[in-house]
Amino acid sequence: MQNINLHNYQDFLLRYIDEELDLRETEALLAFVAVYPAVGEELESLQSTKLDIETITCPSKALLYKNIFPVIVEPTTIVYPNKQKLFKKEKEKAPVILLKWWAVGAAAVFIFIVARYGMFNGEAGVILTKNSSSKNIAQKNSVVKAETSTASNATKSNAVVTSESLASTNIVINQRIATNTLESSSFGDIAYHTIQNASTVTASEAEHTIPSYNGSIIDVKPTVIAELTVAPIALNEAAETQEPNETIETIDTEAASSNRSVMVGAFEIDKDKFRGLFRKANVLFKNKENNKNEK
Amino acid sequence: MTEKDYNESVLLYADNVYRFIVKNLRHTEDAEDIVQSAFEKLWIHKDNVEPSKAKSYLFTVAYHLLIDHTRKAKRISLQESFENDTQTAYQENKALKKVLHDALATLNETQRSLVLLKDYEGYSYEEIGEITKLTTDQVRVYLHRARLKLRNYLISPQQVL
Repeated sequence: MQNINLHNYQDFLLRYIDEELDLRETEALLAFVAVYPAVGEELESLQSTKLDIETITCPSKALLYKNIFPVIVEPTTIVYPNKQKLFKKEKEKAPVILLKWWAVGAAAVFIFIVARYGMFNGEAGVILTKNSSSKNIAQKNSVVKAETSTASNATKSNAVVTSESLASTNIVINQRIATNTLESSSFGDIAYHTIQNASTVTASEAEHTIPSYNGSIIDVKPTVIAELTVAPIALNEAAETQEPNETIETIDTEAASSNRSVMVGAFEIDKDKFRGLFRKANVLFKNKENNKNEK
Repeated sequence: MTEKDYNESVLLYADNVYRFIVKNLRHTEDAEDIVQSAFEKLWIHKDNVEPSKAKSYLFTVAYHLLIDHTRKAKRISLQESFENDTQTAYQENKALKKVLHDALATLNETQRSLVLLKDYEGYSYEEIGEITKLTTDQVRVYLHRARLKLRNYLISPQQVL
């Protein structure tokens, strides 16, 4: 590095303004300027010749681009006059009427009772005897076959419902259920389980299951059958012995050729059609139960 | 250099080249013409120019176009009429800057170009030498002379008063 003296300091000053000095030369020059103030004044005068950076935009810059045409679009405010008409409102959804299952079940039970016992016939409590072969008795006697179809086994349960009177109706349930859950369950639970697994159901259940929305029985009240029973029978004993405490003579309605209709109030309904309705309901219930089990 | 590189060069360096030319010529329309010519040359030779060398190439072409224009203008002797034209003359807004730019006008094309390349673009002596086809020592000497001339103009009695 060359030493700075009074003969060559100007070159150092100009190079300092041009930012061409390295760090050592810069420090040496500043030290020299500190020693000689006149050199400092000359440095300031030379620094005034340095141009300040100006920002200037080329006017025809856009024309210089190739295959690019920048377009400056000034935003405009244009208002659509009939904007209010464009708004849409969501259609009000149809109200969902929740079906009260208990009401449907109660209505089904009532209809079944009416059909079974003929309340609207004007008779206040028809007394049915065992050996009665009257039309009313035949109507009130029915054989309900309940078939259970669980996922683990396929058993058939026969529920024989006979009744002598409204106050003394016994349900004898002969079941051949080989499930572990049933062995230790109570009558109510068994009955409940029976209802759930029954493919062929009673009239109340048929009424109860047909309009199901989700394909499964939502609420099957064991009281449906309980209403039909007066003397609860231990199902375990019944399952083991398969012999009811009382033997009730059942009348095969299919064999009763003289009685083909059921009186529901003032309406006479064909028993075959009625039975067909029950069977359809049973099949529907069975399918829904299978779907439920698969899920 | 691809088309994209070229357009990027326009975006990055068009203003700088224009500033360099307009400060030299003090004439906007002529400066625009030179800038367009410079970029047109770059487009023609874009296959031979690397993107990193685009700036120095543009300034080199613009400088030579400037020299050619200045020499042509001297022969035509139209420079004085353009200076009085308010529509095309470059207007200085500030007094201090005006004095300095008036001082630039007293320099020749080479000195003025050296000062502009040094102060505006920050080129080194070597880079300026590549643009102006001068050696490094020549650039240093011409630049020092330009600064001293500018300093003398600024401290002249006419400017002080």
